[in-house]
Amino acid sequence: MRFPYDADNFPLGKGPMVMLILFLISCLFIFAPADETEKELEFWVFAPTHYEEYQARLPIYKTLQPDINVQLINFGGTMHDKLLTALLSDFGAPDLVEVEINSIGRFLKGDIEEVGFVDLRPRLESEGWLDQLVISRFTPWSYGDKIFGIPHDLHPVVLLYRDDLFKAANVDMTEIETWDDFIIAAKKATRDLDGDGEIDQYAIVLDNKTESDYMNLLLQRGGGFFDAQGNVIIDSEIAIETLEFFTSLFNEHQIATPVYGTWHGDPSNYAAMQDGKILSILAPDWYVGLLQSQVPQMSGKWKAISMPAWETDGRRTTTRGGTMIGITKQCENPELAWELLKFTYFDRASLINRYETTLIIPPLKAAWDAQALKQPLEYLGGQPLGELFIELAPELPPRYQNPYWSEAADLLNDAIFAAVTQKQTPRQALTELAEKIRTTITKDQERWKIKD
Amino acid sequence: MSTERNRYIFWNQQQRYAPYIFIAPFFILFAIFMVYPLISSLIMGFYEMRGFQSRIFVGLGNFTDLFADPIFWKSLLNTTLFALGTLLLQLPIALFLAILLNAKFVKGKNFLRLAFFTPVLVAGVFVAIIFNLIYDQRAGLINNEFLLFGKEIGWLSNERYVMLAVIITGVWQWAGYNMIFFLAGLQGIRQELYEAAAVDGANWWQSFIHITLPSLRPVIAFVVVVSMIGSFQLFDLPYILTNGGEPADAGTTIVMYLYKNGFQFMRLGYAATIGWVLFIIIAIISIIQLKLLGIFREE
Repeated sequence: MRFPYDADNFPLGKGPMVMLILFLISCLFIFAPADETEKELEFWVFAPTHYEEYQARLPIYKTLQPDINVQLINFGGTMHDKLLTALLSDFGAPDLVEVEINSIGRFLKGDIEEVGFVDLRPRLESEGWLDQLVISRFTPWSYGDKIFGIPHDLHPVVLLYRDDLFKAANVDMTEIETWDDFIIAAKKATRDLDGDGEIDQYAIVLDNKTESDYMNLLLQRGGGFFDAQGNVIIDSEIAIETLEFFTSLFNEHQIATPVYGTWHGDPSNYAAMQDGKILSILAPDWYVGLLQSQVPQMSGKWKAISMPAWETDGRRTTTRGGTMIGITKQCENPELAWELLKFTYFDRASLINRYETTLIIPPLKAAWDAQALKQPLEYLGGQPLGELFIELAPELPPRYQNPYWSEAADLLNDAIFAAVTQKQTPRQALTELAEKIRTTITKDQERWKIKD
Repeated sequence: MSTERNRYIFWNQQQRYAPYIFIAPFFILFAIFMVYPLISSLIMGFYEMRGFQSRIFVGLGNFTDLFADPIFWKSLLNTTLFALGTLLLQLPIALFLAILLNAKFVKGKNFLRLAFFTPVLVAGVFVAIIFNLIYDQRAGLINNEFLLFGKEIGWLSNERYVMLAVIITGVWQWAGYNMIFFLAGLQGIRQELYEAAAVDGANWWQSFIHITLPSLRPVIAFVVVVSMIGSFQLFDLPYILTNGGEPADAGTTIVMYLYKNGFQFMRLGYAATIGWVLFIIIAIISIIQLKLLGIFREE
């Protein structure tokens, strides 16, 4: 039997024939029955370093679970928007996803039962994981009585300082215990080197445009924007006093310089550090890792001490930044996703490798006794930085999460800038801010009540 | 017989409806990706999301909230500043470059055209990254090499300079692009007009005012309207350049504020309201411009 058409007499010519063939081949791929034995798990991340770490570990997982095919995708900075769209449209969300600490709030809006992540508390409790991790580190990922994510990190903060330049100013930084001690030392180290009437060397660099460093201090004191019950507490006396102290470092004491560029990781800020314009910085573990990779030429010039406390024997650290991993409610096989989650987040070897590559201290206490975490760090002149972080880890303050955090942080940035630039007093700035957020929350609650 | 009649009816109907079927894909896609989102966003402007699953009808609540929102007004002011920068700085520079490249005495025109046009080929994100380095307070090209005002200027950290920095970047990126339109317009002006004016004793300035500008009117109208629309939709450049509008919302534009509300604050209804108010603002400004430039005038 002869096929009725060939390329020459196909209706409308060769072009349509080629298109038809391509269409039929595509249909074969689209409608081909899936391999029933192989199960798929989709895992989204936003940080390239996390992607590289998990990508390197996936072949090991494949040997343990040969039937599971993991699709690891790094969407970078746009990932949170993609996740939001997928959860809103109830379609296309991954099984597992990492979420950044300042982005999680938006996913908690509305009825807690409608949040797009699986509550992991029952699994954590039944398998006894809660006691094995730093408990305060669950607060950023919890809302109500539910836990929507497992912490990737602890991010304790230390005071990183230029050992050479403080020594040159005859200051022994290891003797510093409180912020009052620091101010006395900082005044000695903050100097006009060329006598032109302008300060050339500041004792500390602080971000006056965003909430980052102010929140470092506020969390250290046990304050926050919201409390555990979701109440706005940013106009509490402790918050106002902290902002007064923060602004005094720039204005009254003149020992702090605003961050160069847009944030602490800006090339401009690195340049100022190399020029000796900045002598210290509040640094979480990941920031030290970042410095080590971005400004390797400063190796050996830095040392670290615990953050100065607010009072003698007070808390010597705070926490900055963070990531969680969660299972979305669109996941068809949460059990499989939970197993992959444990493989990436609770595996000791993996967590040690994480410290070695990024200096990130894992929240799993069982990993803390690893020799790698106690090794002297060349970048800090041989100081064993991991030991200091582990010593501080049990002191980490809670950072309570709230659905309004994104709005609150945006307005808090403006309030801090207004206070530091003396357009408003810290009390005015924070009182106005608290009022705005309370009004927003009350208005939403009233609208929602109408519907109920 | 009956089969033949059926075939006749089929061909008859086919001839009648085939054109509609051929153009249907465009209209179907237009309806799905344009009409539906437009209507949906208009409706959304009267609602507010309650989490991910439900929404509440708020009537004109979003609109009244918006007009009482100081950040919205600040973002509108910032966006208007950028639009004015485009109108008063970028477009005159583009016209000047076009006149220069149209002049007989200029050498290497093709190279210069390409050079001035090239910035538009660079994605906004990369432009922002490049200018972040140029504006860098410590090591940036402007502060470090030119030593403007003899000291370090916080182009991106001092709220007074932020929009100026964005406007300058906009000029660098878009002036060459608009120059191409002006150049095309200039090349379309008949040389005899200038010759006749010269015979009448007109100088260069008089020829420019009475021949060049009126002849360029349709091109100017197009460039001004399109640039204004683009200016009011500004997003990626200041978003990256100012780290999301900092400090103190000095770099926040309307579309940036829309994005923040929609995606960061999960206030989709409010974001839709901002979108519609922006649409109305752009529509009014475009109509005024077209009227002023005489595009609706009958010749």
